[in-house]
Amino acid sequence: MPDQASDGMFDTAGAAPEDPGAAPAVRVEGLWKRFGQQIAVHGIDLVLPAGKFIGLVGPNGAGKTTTLSMVTGLLRPDSGRILVAGHDVWSDPESVARVKARIGILPEGLRLFERLSGRELLAYTGRLRGLPGAEVDKRATQLLDVLDLAGSQHKLVVDYSTGMRKKIGLAAALLHNPDVLFLDEPFEGVDPVSAQTIRGVLERYTGSGATVVFSSHVMELVESLCDWVAVMAGGRIRAQGPLAEVKGSAATLQEAFLELVGAGDRAAAGDSLDWLGGARGERP
Amino acid sequence: MSAAADGPSLTPVFVRLKLSLMRNGLRQSGGRTVAFVASLVVVLLIAALMVLGFLLLRGHGAAGAVAVLTVGVFGLGWAVMPLFLPSGDETMDPSRLVMLPLRPQPLVRALLVASLVGIGPLFTLCLAAGAVTAVAHGAAATVFAVLAVPLVLLVCVALSRAVATANVRLLTSRKGRDMALLSGLVIALGIQAVNFGAQALGRAEDLSVLDTVASVVGWLPPASAVAAVRSAADGDAVVAAARLAVSVVALVVLLWWWRRSLVRLMVEPDGSTVGAAPESVRDPAEGRGLLARLLPGGRTGAVMERCFRYIWRDPKTKAAWVSALAVGALVPMFNAFQEAGSVYWACFASGMLGVQMFNQFGQDSSAFWMVAQTISTPADAYAELRDRAYVLIAITVPFTVLVAVATGLVTGGWSQLPEVFGLAFALLGAMLALGVVASVRYPYAVPQDSRRNVAPGQGGMAVAAIFGGMFGGPLLCAPLIALLVWLRVAGHHDLLWLLLPLGVTYGALLLWAALKAMAGPMLKRLPEILAAVSKG
Repeated sequence: MPDQASDGMFDTAGAAPEDPGAAPAVRVEGLWKRFGQQIAVHGIDLVLPAGKFIGLVGPNGAGKTTTLSMVTGLLRPDSGRILVAGHDVWSDPESVARVKARIGILPEGLRLFERLSGRELLAYTGRLRGLPGAEVDKRATQLLDVLDLAGSQHKLVVDYSTGMRKKIGLAAALLHNPDVLFLDEPFEGVDPVSAQTIRGVLERYTGSGATVVFSSHVMELVESLCDWVAVMAGGRIRAQGPLAEVKGSAATLQEAFLELVGAGDRAAAGDSLDWLGGARGERP
Repeated sequence: MSAAADGPSLTPVFVRLKLSLMRNGLRQSGGRTVAFVASLVVVLLIAALMVLGFLLLRGHGAAGAVAVLTVGVFGLGWAVMPLFLPSGDETMDPSRLVMLPLRPQPLVRALLVASLVGIGPLFTLCLAAGAVTAVAHGAAATVFAVLAVPLVLLVCVALSRAVATANVRLLTSRKGRDMALLSGLVIALGIQAVNFGAQALGRAEDLSVLDTVASVVGWLPPASAVAAVRSAADGDAVVAAARLAVSVVALVVLLWWWRRSLVRLMVEPDGSTVGAAPESVRDPAEGRGLLARLLPGGRTGAVMERCFRYIWRDPKTKAAWVSALAVGALVPMFNAFQEAGSVYWACFASGMLGVQMFNQFGQDSSAFWMVAQTISTPADAYAELRDRAYVLIAITVPFTVLVAVATGLVTGGWSQLPEVFGLAFALLGAMLALGVVASVRYPYAVPQDSRRNVAPGQGGMAVAAIFGGMFGGPLLCAPLIALLVWLRVAGHHDLLWLLLPLGVTYGALLLWAALKAMAGPMLKRLPEILAAVSKG
C-alpha cells in the first residue's frame, strides 16, 4: 500500500473503495497508550479504508475511546504514528491543521457547550471552523430539520435528552462537511426513533464517498450498518477487515466477536454454577 | 372545618410523617444525629440569647423598632429560604403527594400543622415571643401579644410553603438547581448588605433611621403583628387592630394562594415533564440576536458571543462575575466613604475583573474539545485567547470608569482621574497577560455540578495561579507606580496626566506580548489542557 496519500485521494476514494491500492482513511502504526500501570492501547496497527462504514467493536474497557481520542488529536499517544487522510495527526502543525479541517468528531464523555441552544451551538461551531456566517446558518437549519431538532433548536442543550444531545453533536460534527467522521458510541442511550434518524443521515453521508468510523458494543447494529469491522479487546486489535471476513464461518458477528475476545470460555465457566436451577426440594 | 368529618383527619398523619422523616433522617448516620443535636443546641442558645436581648431591651426607646425589624427580616428569610434550599424538607415537596386522593382543604391544614414541627418554627416561636415581650406594656398590649405570637409563626410558615409550592416546578427543574448553585453568593451578598446597613446605623448618632424603616416594615406582615402590640401599648387601639388585621389578611391570602397552587399542581405535569411543554416559537431563521449584531463577525464574534452568553447563563461563570463586580464596586465605594478614601481604589475594580481571565479553559470544562478541534495554527490560538480578553476588556473598561467616577464623586478627587485610569488599565493589561499565561500553562478543572470550584488534587494549582495574579499584576505595573510616585514626590503634578496614555499603552503591550508568547505553547498543549480541564 502507498504510505503517503496525495491530497486528492478523496476524489478516487468513493469511486474505488475495493481497490487495495487506494489510500486508507486512517492508518495507525504501533500505537501505545499507558495510564499509570494500566496499558490502555497495546501497540496496535490498524488500516481503515476510505469510503466505508467502519465499526470499531469491543467490550467495555477495550481501549476504543482511548484509540479514537488519539486518532482525532484529543489525547497524546505515548508512541506510534497515526495518519488520517494521509496526514500525520501528531507531527508538524501544518499536517495537524490539515487533519483537523478534514475530520468531524462526536466524542463520548466530553461535554458540549451546553448553555447554548442547539442552534447557537451550531452557529458557534461553524464560525469557529471558519465557515461564512450565512452558510453556517443555512447548513444549521437543514441539519436541525433532518435530525428532527427544529422544534427544540432554541432550547438549551443542557435541557436536551441523551438522544437529542447525540443528534446535535452529530450535527456539529457534520457542519463543515468532513471527509472522515469519528463517532464514539453514537447510539448509546439513544431511543429507536433517534437511532433511525442518525442512521439515515450517516448512510446518506457515506453514500457520498465519505468515511464513518464508529465505536459500539452492540453487534447487531454494527453488523447491519458496517461493511468493515475492527475488533478490539484488552488494548489490542483482534481482527480487522471486511465484515464477511471477520465473521468467517460464524453465523453472526456476535458469535465471531465472542470467539475473538475469548468470552466463549467464560460462558463455559457457567458449569461451576451447576446448583443453579437444580432441585429445590429440601432445605437444611 | 367540616371537611375532616368524612374520614379520619389528615393532620395527625402528616405530623407523624414529619416526625418519622426527621427520626429516620437521624437514624441514617451518627454524623447526622450529631449535626442535628448540635444545630438544635446552637439554635436554642441563639434563641435564648435573643429572648434575653429582647427582655433587656424592654423599656428602651429603640425596643419597638428592633422588635419589628427583626421579625420583618425573619419573614423575608422564610420567604426566600425555599428558593435556595429546595431539598430541605421532603414534606415540603407537594409533587410527592400528587398521586394520593387528597382534597386540597384538609391537605393545606394538615401540611400547615406539620410544617410547624421543626427547629426553624421553634426558633421563630422563641423570636416572636421575645419580640412581643419587648414591646408589650399593659393589659391591651398583652392581649395583642398573645394573638401576635402564633400569627407571626403561621404567616412565616404559610409564606414559605406558598412560595415553595408556587415555584415547585421551577425548583425541581434544571433552573432550580442552577439557582441553588448561586445561593452561596446571594447569602454572601446579603450578609454584606446587612453589614453595610449595620455600619451605617452604627455611625448614625441617633436611631431615627431605624424608626423610619420600622414604621414602614410595621405595616408589612408578619412584622405588622408585632407593631400592633407596640401600638396597643401606646394606647392606639385602632392602629393596633389595623396592623393585626394586615397580618391576618396576609395569612388568609397566603393560604388561599398556597391552596390554589396545590390544586393546579395536582392536575398539571410535574417538573420532570417540563421539557415536553411546547417552546415559545421564534422565527427559525433568526439564529443570532441583538448581541450578535453588535459584535464583529467570524471567529471573534462567535467566541465573544459565547463568552457573554456564558456569563449570563452558566451558574458558575455568573457567580464568579457577580461576585467580582460586587466586590470590585463595593470595596472602592466603602473606602470612598471612609475619611482616607481615594480614587486610586478604582484600580481594585479593574484588578478584580482581570482575575476572570485566569483559567479560561477550565471554565469551558471538557467542552474545550470543541475549541481545541478548531485551533490548527498559532494564529488560531492567538485569536481564541485575544477574543476572550476582548470580552473582559468590554466589561472591565466601562465598569472601571464607572467606579472611578463614582468614587471621584464621593471623595472629590477629580483631578486624579487621568492617572487612576492609566494605572487601572495598566493593571488590567497585566492581569489579562498573566491570565493568558496561567490559562495556557496551568489550567485546572472547574467541577460543573457541585459547589466546589476546583477539582480534587488541583487546589494547589488554583491557589498558585490566583496568588500569582494578585502579586504578579501589581509587580508588572511597578514601573508605572514608580513613575507615579516620582512625579508626585518631585512635584511634577502637571505631568501626572501622562500616566493615562502610558498606562493604556503599557497594559496593551503586556497583553499583546503574552498573547504572542502563549499562542505557540497553547497549540502544542491542546491535549494537555483538555486533559487538565476534563477532570472532575
